[in-house]
Amino acid sequence: MSLYTETCKQDISLGRKNYIYLTLVMAITDFKIKYDNSVLGYLWSLLKPLLMFGTLYLVFSVFVRWDVENYKLYLLLGIILWNFLAEVTLNSMVFLEGKAPILKKIYFPRWIIVIACSLTALLTLLLNMIVFFIFFVISGAQFSIGIFMLALYLLELYVLVVGLALFLSALFPKFRDVHHIWEVFVQLGFWITPIVYPISIVPAKYHSLIFLNPAARIIQGCRQALIGPTGEFLAFKNHIIIISFAVCFFAIGLGLFNKLSRSFAEDL
Amino acid sequence: MIAFEHVNKIFRLPHDRKTTLRQHFTRILQKHTYEKLYALRDINLYVESGEFLGIVGKNGSGKSTLLKLVAQVLEPTSGTISVNGNVAPFLELGVGFQWELTVKNNVFLYGALLGMSRQQIIEKYDWIIEFSGLERFVDAKLKNLSSGMQVRLGFSITVSVESPILLVDEVLAVGDIDFQHKCYDSFESFKKNGRTIVFVSHDLNAVEKFCDRVILLEEGKAIAEGNPLDVLNLYKSQEK
Repeated sequence: MSLYTETCKQDISLGRKNYIYLTLVMAITDFKIKYDNSVLGYLWSLLKPLLMFGTLYLVFSVFVRWDVENYKLYLLLGIILWNFLAEVTLNSMVFLEGKAPILKKIYFPRWIIVIACSLTALLTLLLNMIVFFIFFVISGAQFSIGIFMLALYLLELYVLVVGLALFLSALFPKFRDVHHIWEVFVQLGFWITPIVYPISIVPAKYHSLIFLNPAARIIQGCRQALIGPTGEFLAFKNHIIIISFAVCFFAIGLGLFNKLSRSFAEDL
Repeated sequence: MIAFEHVNKIFRLPHDRKTTLRQHFTRILQKHTYEKLYALRDINLYVESGEFLGIVGKNGSGKSTLLKLVAQVLEPTSGTISVNGNVAPFLELGVGFQWELTVKNNVFLYGALLGMSRQQIIEKYDWIIEFSGLERFVDAKLKNLSSGMQVRLGFSITVSVESPILLVDEVLAVGDIDFQHKCYDSFESFKKNGRTIVFVSHDLNAVEKFCDRVILLEEGKAIAEGNPLDVLNLYKSQEK
């Protein structure tokens, strides 16, 4: 059986165009491996946020009571979106470390690893959103035009989070404690951002500080779009602010990543 | 085509590697001490398309560094390198595989890593499985295969990548004799197909048999270059 149908001179550009396929294969592989040896398999990607939701819901609807319309949906959406941020940013560093043996041997653009990681998390996010919409329907909430707004917010969130992930994973091989520091930040951010509690319980003078965090704007925006009541975060201005943040993060992250990723093979 | 012009590669090996921020801060005032390791010094190299180049030398003479520079994984400290065409390296056992996945899944993952498209892998899939002799194990998890089988799988996938440049770094020693023969047969067919191969090996017989030209490295310098017999004789006489 002959392997080569023609000489390989025509294949001189082979490989360079196949980066998209490589990204997809890496993302799918990662998703498969993550749940491969567990009995519940893919269900875990749904159970994890649900368990977290269950615990927090128990605490904050029985022991403490907020005055929030549809608190169940409010909380679940917040947790799902924050989990996506945490998963992409933290896993991109872990993923990079895991791929070190390959990075030392084969050349491909290093950002493929970060993008693959973000796609895995995106898949989890989409599965989680399905669960959210099941809750949504059960609780009798009404679909509105806001669902299109949600897509825009998710896109903004994706760009923002990938920018962050690029920034962090660029630094990671040289400074390993970036991972630990970021873990603390993610924990801190979870409580500083109005995810569990309504923004109304925070004194007004701190609002501008809280909404310096573009992720907080996105989460509030998504809630107002889906659950209501409509408010300032649906305004055009909010999108402008978020998009400026997201594009800045992305540009800085990508720039730094391109610069530092050249020596990944030596640093990792 | 591969061209090296005055290529130097220096590794800086800090005496105490700083990998945490605290270490960076506490040491910022101290004098940095590191060992400079000259992995390659002033390498000039031109490999034509279709040439089979052998590289020999003792451990630590810079052979693997040279391959990594060709693969563009490392950047040279100074000098220029131009490589025309996609490079497929033969990976050592374990790199690039996922043990928890099936043989079939691994073919697609490994192929993608080496730069193949989905379409190309599908076209080559049957050939890869047949060449590696794993027809019965397609749906088995990779971790349950013997190391010989894994090497065969890796080799078969790499061979099926139609990249113009192949890098072979001492990976064939694990396979059995039958498989080694198969490998050497496929080297012959590479040569016929006009693919460039850079071959690093301690198996001097194989180097002599296949290479058109051999370079001898010593402490990062190319101390001899030319036809295999002469260079290998020099290398052997040095060892005594």
